[in-house]
Amino acid sequence: MAEVIIRKLTKTFGDNTVVKSVSLKVEDGEFLVLLGPSGCGKSTILRLIAGLEDVTSGEILINGEIVNFVNPVDRNAAFVFQNYALYPHMTVRKNIAFPLETAKLPKEEVLKTVNEAGRILELEQLMDRLPSQLSGGQRQRVALARAIVRKPVVFLMDEPLSNLDAQLRQQTRIELMELHQRLGITTIYVTHDQIEAMTMGKRIVILKDGELQQIDTPTRTYEKPANTFVARFMGAPPMNLIKGEISLVSGQLEFKGDGFTSSLDYLKMGLTPELILSHKNETVSLGVRPEHIEISSDVLAGELSGVVKFLEPTGADLFVNVAIGEETAVVRCQPKAKIQIGTKVSLKFSSENVQLFGADSWNINTTC
Amino acid sequence: MSQIDQNKVLIDWQELSLTDEEFRRARSRYKLRGLIPVMGFLGPFLLLWSVFLAIPMLWSIWLSFNTGGLIDEAKFVGFDNWSRMLSNDELVRSLKNTAIYVVIAILTVFSLALTIAGLLNSNKRGQNFFKVALYFPLLVPPIMAGMIFFFLTHYDMGIINLVLQATNHEKLNFLGDNPNALLTIVSLEVWRGLGFWVLFFLAGLQSIPSDLIDAAKIDGAGSVRRFRKISLPTLRPLLLFAVIIALIFNFQLFDSVQVLTKGGPVLGTTSVVWFIYKRLFAFQDIGLAYATSVGLLIVVVVLTVAAYGFLGKRSEN
Amino acid sequence: MSLKHPIGIDLEDLARQDALTRRAKSALSYFVLGLFVLISVGPILYVISPAFRESKSLFSYPPQWLPNSFYLGNFKFLLTETNYIRWGINTLIFATSVTLISLVIDTLAGYAFARMNFPGKKLLFGCILATLMVPIAALLAPTYLLVRNLDRWTFGLIGLDTFGGLIIPMTVSPLGVFMMRQFIETLPKGLYEAARIDGASEWRIFTKIVLPLMKPAVVVLGIFVFMQQWANFLWPLVITTKDETRVLTVGIATLQGQFVTNWGVIAAATLMTIAPIIMVFLFFQRWFVQASVAGALKQ
Repeated sequence: MAEVIIRKLTKTFGDNTVVKSVSLKVEDGEFLVLLGPSGCGKSTILRLIAGLEDVTSGEILINGEIVNFVNPVDRNAAFVFQNYALYPHMTVRKNIAFPLETAKLPKEEVLKTVNEAGRILELEQLMDRLPSQLSGGQRQRVALARAIVRKPVVFLMDEPLSNLDAQLRQQTRIELMELHQRLGITTIYVTHDQIEAMTMGKRIVILKDGELQQIDTPTRTYEKPANTFVARFMGAPPMNLIKGEISLVSGQLEFKGDGFTSSLDYLKMGLTPELILSHKNETVSLGVRPEHIEISSDVLAGELSGVVKFLEPTGADLFVNVAIGEETAVVRCQPKAKIQIGTKVSLKFSSENVQLFGADSWNINTTC
Repeated sequence: MSQIDQNKVLIDWQELSLTDEEFRRARSRYKLRGLIPVMGFLGPFLLLWSVFLAIPMLWSIWLSFNTGGLIDEAKFVGFDNWSRMLSNDELVRSLKNTAIYVVIAILTVFSLALTIAGLLNSNKRGQNFFKVALYFPLLVPPIMAGMIFFFLTHYDMGIINLVLQATNHEKLNFLGDNPNALLTIVSLEVWRGLGFWVLFFLAGLQSIPSDLIDAAKIDGAGSVRRFRKISLPTLRPLLLFAVIIALIFNFQLFDSVQVLTKGGPVLGTTSVVWFIYKRLFAFQDIGLAYATSVGLLIVVVVLTVAAYGFLGKRSEN
Repeated sequence: MSLKHPIGIDLEDLARQDALTRRAKSALSYFVLGLFVLISVGPILYVISPAFRESKSLFSYPPQWLPNSFYLGNFKFLLTETNYIRWGINTLIFATSVTLISLVIDTLAGYAFARMNFPGKKLLFGCILATLMVPIAALLAPTYLLVRNLDRWTFGLIGLDTFGGLIIPMTVSPLGVFMMRQFIETLPKGLYEAARIDGASEWRIFTKIVLPLMKPAVVVLGIFVFMQQWANFLWPLVITTKDETRVLTVGIATLQGQFVTNWGVIAAATLMTIAPIIMVFLFFQRWFVQASVAGALKQ
């Protein structure tokens, strides 16, 4: 069991800085997800922790000890690779035993541990097969078995589910969570799939271009995104962003957009008058989730309104695309809602569901 | 404002505990430790490469300013060897022979090999048999191949002349006349190299995506047209690489000269390597051999760098 | 019933013509291919006849194609009156040793270049690449002098007329290192990294993970090197002067000098030298074909 701390971690390849001064702290036994689009540096961070890459600057601590200059094996971290990296010429048994035999453990102990791991991951029937004779899910389990036999203090998983088909992915996700609950090993899990991140992570770390965007619980990253990037990255369809300016008018926050004005209760939004005034003369973005907008065909002058452009029925929901001037907003409606393309509609939302982002793209609410 | 700023309260765990100096030192120690196995893996090759390739290369440059040294003491002569190179008739003749040989051999073997590879590629039945059959000459060491050609082409006893005689034709002097002798050597090398280049080009042809060929078929291009308009342009980079490799190989012509003609008749088949060998081990004008070796070395290294630099650029694209 | 095209072209007839031209084309193709097979194999088969005939019968006119009896005198002469067997053993020692030694050093170095990091790696590899095709012909003088001088330093292990002097300089093959590096780079990098995480040392990764996976490449390189050395002529010619270390190619070349008119003997020697390699080839032809192309094409 271990706590992992990363301090101002930076990694450059040539002129290319892929991780930029990232700091984070992973609690003992936590399941932390690193999330971001491809090329955001999430895998590199994992590989740096594992010792597969050399740290340019910054420190990595496992259990309070700086491990930058410790051999990968002595960091006691297990790594699960995206394509499993099973040794193709060895049987499942040999694959799982490899780390133990490398450590020169006595034969009986190797046998016992391998069988134990095989039992935990339900591989007993497959022990004498070669990796090429296994299905994707089975290979995945062998990779996990090989990772747990060394009794690591940290699990590092690099998109372990991305090579599985959708159905198997969901099932394996549950198995992974169960395994984590059972073993209680600190786990750092890399993915580009926000559904995976939302369902698995106790906390999510969102990265972009090697920089930290937000570290928070899945719900908070969804409800109170730290910046417009997170707002657009989390959720499908993403959060709607509408440009405008803010001011304080008679104790209310007034958001003035293109052809409309909305009055909002800043207290419900967790803002203070000072915060609002500090963003007075800049273009800010109003963010609201598709499910928090109500659509209505009664349009009053000065209200936020637009024209229905097209409809996307998904079965469970109906997503309505509304053109508001140059911008487009997506609204989630009941699947059976009667909405015609081309009609003018008004959009309503309540203050507690609104986020405001400053011109620098960061959330005005600094507690996010 | 950003996440990082917000963590100011917790900033203590973010503070680095190593100074830059300590970090640098620990890092270089760690990297140095990683170098130990590198020496183990690279050491044997590096040692042999330095001793038997790198050192001889540098040494040969030094030698080119010397004369003697094989049986007597080496004597420094400055640029004398180099300045005498172009005035030595035999060397000029050897260069000319080698050049003629290289050009004719490469042109012949490439056009034949491309044709055969094209035929094999479009006539799949029995492809393996033909590959194997065409491979046979490659199994015969050049020196033995030379013997075989000696049998075939001997003026009195060679089978070709015996057949010509039997059919009331005039006998051909394959090895005793110029330019016949050089052409005989060319045909020997073409014979030996053909199978290799067929396999080489066949591999290249088979790597051409089949949808390209299919598209041309649908457009109504005949097989000759397809070969000229699609296969050849696609093969062009490979072809250029092949030409450079073939230049390097063929420039080293020696074995067949040694077996068939010993450079004769009247210097009609002397080659660059044959010239070097003869100068060195007949102990005549060794300095000239030294300088010629360096010349050959430069040609080979430049061609190699060109070939692989070119390939590297291609794979980057 | 024939299908009439609207404008009156008989489609079946067209198809028949098409099939006919195609068959004619394919027949022509196979004729040309057959011709080249004959040219390739013919000269080799041609050696068989004189090898089994008495030399004086070679002058007979009209030319005699087949021996009228299996005359074994040439072979007997070769085995008893010359050092053919000694040369054959020497060739085996020479080619096998060069092959084994270069396989070991080339795979090790290829692994280092493919999977290890060290300062100056690119520069060093570039230098080695530049010497990829440097022939012994261009380094004849310095290498000869080097081996002659090394005699003193290596207590006679590497010197003129020694196996060490014959073998060791030939084991340096940048091409082999290049081929092995290219192959190791095609192996998934994850395997190597997984093994590192599992605690394996470089040596253990090399022997337990990489080597078992590169068997095909090792076989191909092995055949390539062996064939090259089996046929090697110039270096053995320069470095050996005695039958104790002389190899077949050089030995037979000396035969040619001594027995210019004794063709039967030379034909028999040639036949005996290439027959075993042809046998081996027929068994492992797939590998041979790969090896020959790999030498130049493996990029």
